[in-house]
Amino acid sequence: MAIIEVENLSKSFGEVKAVNEISFAVSEGEIFGFLGPNGAGKSTTIRMLTGVLKPTSGIVKMFGKNFWENTIPIKQLISSVSETANVYNDLNGMYNLLLMAQLYGISKKVREERAVVLLKKFELYDKRNLKAKAYSKGMKQRLLICMALMSEPKILFLDEPTSGLDVQTSILVRHLIKEYNQKGMTIFLTTHNMDVANELCDRIAIINNGKIVSLNAPEKLKKLFQENHKIEFSFNRDVSAEEIKNMSSTKEVEKTKEGWSLIVNDVNKSLVEIIEFAKLRKLEITRIATPEPSLEEIFLKIINGR
Amino acid sequence: MNNATKDKKSIVTPRESKLNQFLSQINRSFAISKKNVKIYYNKGPVAIQGIAFPIILFFAFTIGRQIEPPHVVSGLVSLIIFLTSTSIAPIVFPWETRDKTLEKLITCPISIKTIVLGDIWGSFFFGVLFSIFPLIIGIVLLSLWNALNIGIMIVAIIVAAFAFSCFSSILSVPPSDTPSYTMILTIIVKFPLIFLSGIFGSIESAPYSVLSPVTYFTDIINFGFTGSSAFGPLGILLDFAVLLTFGFGFLGLSLYFHGKVLQRRFTA
Repeated sequence: MAIIEVENLSKSFGEVKAVNEISFAVSEGEIFGFLGPNGAGKSTTIRMLTGVLKPTSGIVKMFGKNFWENTIPIKQLISSVSETANVYNDLNGMYNLLLMAQLYGISKKVREERAVVLLKKFELYDKRNLKAKAYSKGMKQRLLICMALMSEPKILFLDEPTSGLDVQTSILVRHLIKEYNQKGMTIFLTTHNMDVANELCDRIAIINNGKIVSLNAPEKLKKLFQENHKIEFSFNRDVSAEEIKNMSSTKEVEKTKEGWSLIVNDVNKSLVEIIEFAKLRKLEITRIATPEPSLEEIFLKIINGR
Repeated sequence: MNNATKDKKSIVTPRESKLNQFLSQINRSFAISKKNVKIYYNKGPVAIQGIAFPIILFFAFTIGRQIEPPHVVSGLVSLIIFLTSTSIAPIVFPWETRDKTLEKLITCPISIKTIVLGDIWGSFFFGVLFSIFPLIIGIVLLSLWNALNIGIMIVAIIVAAFAFSCFSSILSVPPSDTPSYTMILTIIVKFPLIFLSGIFGSIESAPYSVLSPVTYFTDIINFGFTGSSAFGPLGILLDFAVLLTFGFGFLGLSLYFHGKVLQRRFTA
């Protein structure tokens, strides 16, 4: 069942159409990824879904209600961590959390308990009385996520949640995203990190120049490119690129450090061709592999319209 | 009925909960005000405009002049209340736009009106707090022990702090993210109102003083100490009426214009 429904959503800044009639739906309990290069329209979309920017046109529905006609009751059930928002640097970590909870109308006792639990979970408890200006980028990002979780939202919007974080913090954040999702929280996240999207998301929309160019599960996205499968191999001695190119199902040939990398239409046919090729020339195949295309490659292909 | 269905129903806002929603927003505006108190009271621009300027102007107005003691007290209290209660609200919006904390607030379940009110409360408390002390000192020094007059002056401080805070909130309407720009604007607007007003002197002898809201507060404090108003026997009623009209008028304008320019703060 769709908890977020977006229909023909657009946002223009003067002449520039940052988001151009995008439509999608996010199911309850899903982790929905929004991928795209810088300037593709990811942050503008998330800002329209969280009440910061009013859409130029289109409809956003959450919980079956029009968001922009019910902003306060809907905001009560959602929360966000945005790249374009910040913590209060002049307040300490604990007060930042308590303030957020007060703005959601959470009682004093509950907000104090929740703040302690979250600060411990996100490894900030020891620094709770330090002003946020003394926090590192990673600590601020964790604090922002804690602030968003104070209200125990039904939908959590995360804008580049692991951007600029060290490896340890990034792993912690990913782990906690999964944990909260398993508890039933719907998560909408934007990222340009393929690993994050691949690891976390149930479905991924790819946005470029303000338009959604693909919307699928990570596995399905990969399958879409099975016809562009890659074969990597090497022989015990050199052969010319021209000879390799003559293989009938080969689309692209690339000489690599280790040997050859082919993009082929039909992986089985190409494997047979490579073996025949080696037999005919009395070559020894020292390595052969058929790696799955990475999400990054798929992403770049979609973005480049290939 | 499962929890998800219950939650979806709970976002439908029934009519009877409108009052609760209103009270909840007021309550949340106090949380914003408390945050402003913690963050902005010790910021440089606030300290300069709210504390340094009243002291400097007090000496500039009084040194070398023969001023009646009640007028010295009323003038000082007027300066302090006007400058302190107009020192915080104008800088919060540009400051928070620049620090990107306004965007965090906007994603919370509060309206822009709640945020504006929170900023006004912050200025209001600052104004009341700093004006009460010179008033008490004046009462002690001038041996004024008339409970009614003291009560009138305290109410005047509350009304004037509210009116001036609402007025100052409108100075942060231009969607700037540069606090210094707003500071310059506030000085350009506030100083003429001080010079026009009848502080440290006779209101009757300064005909243009009626154009400044500070005059009406000064008149109430003068009345508290001397028992007479520059506007006649019912003068303090006029003073209160003007201050309340001024306050609510600017409150309405401020809420309206802040709503109008909000989007421009995030798209500039």
